[in-house]
Amino acid sequence: MRLTPDQSSRIRRKPRVEFTFDDLPVSGHDGESLMVALMRSGHLHLRDAPEDGGARGAFCCMGLCQECVVRIDGTVVESCRYAVAQGLTVTSLRQKS
Amino acid sequence: MTKIYDIAIVGGGIMGCASALRMAEGGMQPIVLDQGDLGQGASGANAGTLSLQIKRVRLMPYALKGHHEWEAMGEAVGFHKTGGFTLAFTEREAALLHERQTLKAEAGAPITFASDRQIREAEPGLTRKVLAASYCPEDGYANSSLTGQYFRRRLRDAGIPYRERCPVSAADPAKEGFNLTTPDGSVHARRLLLAAGAWLRPVAALLGVELPVQARINTVSVTERLPPLVSTVIGHATGLLTMKQKSNGTVLIGGGWQGRGTPQEGRGHVMAESVQPNLALAQYALPALANARILRSWTGFEANVPDFYPLAGALPGVENAFVLGCVRGGFTIGPYIGKLMGDFIMGREPQLPLFDPARSFDEETT
Amino acid sequence: MMQNTDIAVIGAGPAGANAALTAARHSLSVTLLDEQPTAGGQVWRAKSTAILDAPNTPETVAGSRLRQEIDDSLVTHIGAARIWQIERSEKGWNLYVLRQGRSEVLHARALIIATGAREFVQPAPGWTTPGVLGLAGATALFKQEMTLPGKRTIVSGTGPLVFFVASEIRRLGGEVAAIITPNSRGDWLRCLPAMVSRPDLLLRGARWIADLILGGIPIWWRHAVTRVEGQTQVASIEFRKLTADWSPTGPARRVEGDSLCLGNGLLPATEAAQLAGLWLEYSLQLGGWVPCQVADGGTDIGGLFLCGDGTGIRGAAAAEIHGRLAGLSAVQHLGADTRAERDRLRAAFHRAARFGMAMTSLGIPRPGLLRLTTDETIVCRCESLSRTDIAAEISSGAGSTNAVKSGLRAGMGPCGGKFCQTTVARMIAETEGCTEADVPPPTPRPPLRPVPVAALAGDFRYSELPIPKPAPL
Repeated sequence: MRLTPDQSSRIRRKPRVEFTFDDLPVSGHDGESLMVALMRSGHLHLRDAPEDGGARGAFCCMGLCQECVVRIDGTVVESCRYAVAQGLTVTSLRQKS
Repeated sequence: MTKIYDIAIVGGGIMGCASALRMAEGGMQPIVLDQGDLGQGASGANAGTLSLQIKRVRLMPYALKGHHEWEAMGEAVGFHKTGGFTLAFTEREAALLHERQTLKAEAGAPITFASDRQIREAEPGLTRKVLAASYCPEDGYANSSLTGQYFRRRLRDAGIPYRERCPVSAADPAKEGFNLTTPDGSVHARRLLLAAGAWLRPVAALLGVELPVQARINTVSVTERLPPLVSTVIGHATGLLTMKQKSNGTVLIGGGWQGRGTPQEGRGHVMAESVQPNLALAQYALPALANARILRSWTGFEANVPDFYPLAGALPGVENAFVLGCVRGGFTIGPYIGKLMGDFIMGREPQLPLFDPARSFDEETT
Repeated sequence: MMQNTDIAVIGAGPAGANAALTAARHSLSVTLLDEQPTAGGQVWRAKSTAILDAPNTPETVAGSRLRQEIDDSLVTHIGAARIWQIERSEKGWNLYVLRQGRSEVLHARALIIATGAREFVQPAPGWTTPGVLGLAGATALFKQEMTLPGKRTIVSGTGPLVFFVASEIRRLGGEVAAIITPNSRGDWLRCLPAMVSRPDLLLRGARWIADLILGGIPIWWRHAVTRVEGQTQVASIEFRKLTADWSPTGPARRVEGDSLCLGNGLLPATEAAQLAGLWLEYSLQLGGWVPCQVADGGTDIGGLFLCGDGTGIRGAAAAEIHGRLAGLSAVQHLGADTRAERDRLRAAFHRAARFGMAMTSLGIPRPGLLRLTTDETIVCRCESLSRTDIAAEISSGAGSTNAVKSGLRAGMGPCGGKFCQTTVARMIAETEGCTEADVPPPTPRPPLRPVPVAALAGDFRYSELPIPKPAPL
């Protein structure tokens, strides 16, 4: 019996929705942030830094650092502040080879 | 024994530093003083536009020389010669464009009128609503925020002493010239050059001279990095828009929209009611900007006197004192007119005539 | 959103929300704005709508209670609102607010700024690798999304957050690989006198630590992360012991993990206050640069009030009371006499601040901390500028944060200098032989957050463009 119990099984979430990230299918729970859906699916490398191409991903989780940005409908958005939705088409700011 | 400099230059922007370098080359021992960082005033806050299409007719020869200076400074100041278009969207603007650009071409600038096809081939991203446009292949831009660091390096390399964050609070006559009071102690110099830009009025007042210097508060905005949208510098027949995309992808948007504030307060304030129409016009001209995010807006002071010609010459009523500033198009012309000023102070004939600060300032009608 | 309000409050955390609730009890219209959809700030950040049910914590209870209070009150709460510009007007203040892709103006007679804190992370090699989160960032992630950053997480930093984050990882079913903290047990013992005023928090912290020890998770006191390894994701970290002044010493050790939570204390978020016209002053005890302020949330600018961690890191309990004080001060400014009420709150504010400031003291940087940032470490994340790049700029004469920013772009990127300017300032101070108090941050510029051009352009009609006097020819 731990002093800090594992409460993960007591968390209930909304059903999943499907979206795409660089044409790859990803699912997330309706209403959670894009950043988190991507994190849970193992997509931590969200973009490449402009000058040196270094891999970057979520950092501050509160809309300040701009490291978690992705592109939706031609606009760059902070994935930590954008909710997943069914059918969303998300592209990364990674340098495509 | 305190050191006596040949000349103290109050104001370490482009003009002050360019003059200092010229005079040091000529064997003088200047010192440069600035209330803040070098190039922190207009020199470092503008949109960096180097466009002959917005220069005054009489100043065109100076602007052409200025462009050569910037080209020589090159990569160190982020100089790019991209060519530039000035756009007109209405009949009135087209008429204004035609009249004015013709006169500027006659004054020596290689300006031509662009055909519809020329614009669409050069700038496919621009709106199709352009009614008329002029073009100048000499136009381009530099990175104004690199100005300070560039001149700091040049002054150091030339062994010219400079003091930053060192405002001058008094300038009194002394044996052999002037005694300047600063937080870092007194500075003693035989002669003085006032090159304090938007702060020329209070600085000249230290010597009891009234200069009718006013300052406009120009607003500039910059976007996040974007894919290539535009490759030349874009202007507007009324001057209300300047736009350029830098090599790092950010787009700089200006147009002289006014912020609020006075040089005495230190810095100007951005006004939302100026930024919004400025950006709306930019989006009108370049629709792809709609999705771009603005990261930062700021203001810079642009000094002028009532006739909008430079102050460049002896300071009225004070021996051994000079003044340089208020050049319309000062960013472009600054490096060149600084050299002329240095020559003048050293008793040499400047290559082009200067502008007597003691003249009468009746506003010219154009 | 209505266009006029008596009092606008920026920030719906414990400070701002309490300021709004207090003011609304005095027959004034109050508008409470926050960029999050719901109130709570960072400390009581609400769960996302994706979470239907989850066990309560002291934070969720406090947050729910606050949100309920706001719902039951006359406060107009506007969530998902990003203020991008603040201007003084004849009658008070104009706030430019980005909402749903459009910019709107809110006119307020008085303004209360309660923008809270953000975190400071000392750059170390590899800190930009995906899988590295800020320590406070991790708390935001856990509170809002209850999701882990990886399968095996290293937790490192100063102050209580390091134990809170480790505990939350365990509570969410994750694995804590190790805890690495520059603080020593002695540093914590020295905080005890201030902590005894809050036996509940003391007990809670003790439970976290006891749980970690019982769980066999190593706690490396007086150590720090010196390198993050991994190309596109964290693979392991290297860490070393620190001297008393926090210089890395001794052999490097390694711990494997796929994620790292890293932080070195909180900084007041002062941009909005600066934009409103306030100067900053330096206070080590309050976390660094704070807006110039007077008693009871007042300032030297008429109609401008401040409260909470944005004025200095004093913690949530003090923020609640500070919010009430600021709310009352704003009410006083608009006509009613609230002196007696404020007199009754002041002592409680100072008492509550003791605990928070003791926690802040654990993050006060020591000279050796800057050594974690090696020459090749990226300091400006946005522009990928290393310590060497910035040092070169400083040694060629850039003697202020504004000058470094102009020369190199450090601070000109999308984050606006939030994550680099403190380190740049400390580098300048070290080079110039002065203290951080002598190197103020650069001037912040609007917009306070990135704003799409379309939102700023609004409904533009070309015919409405003003026709300026033609420029002199």
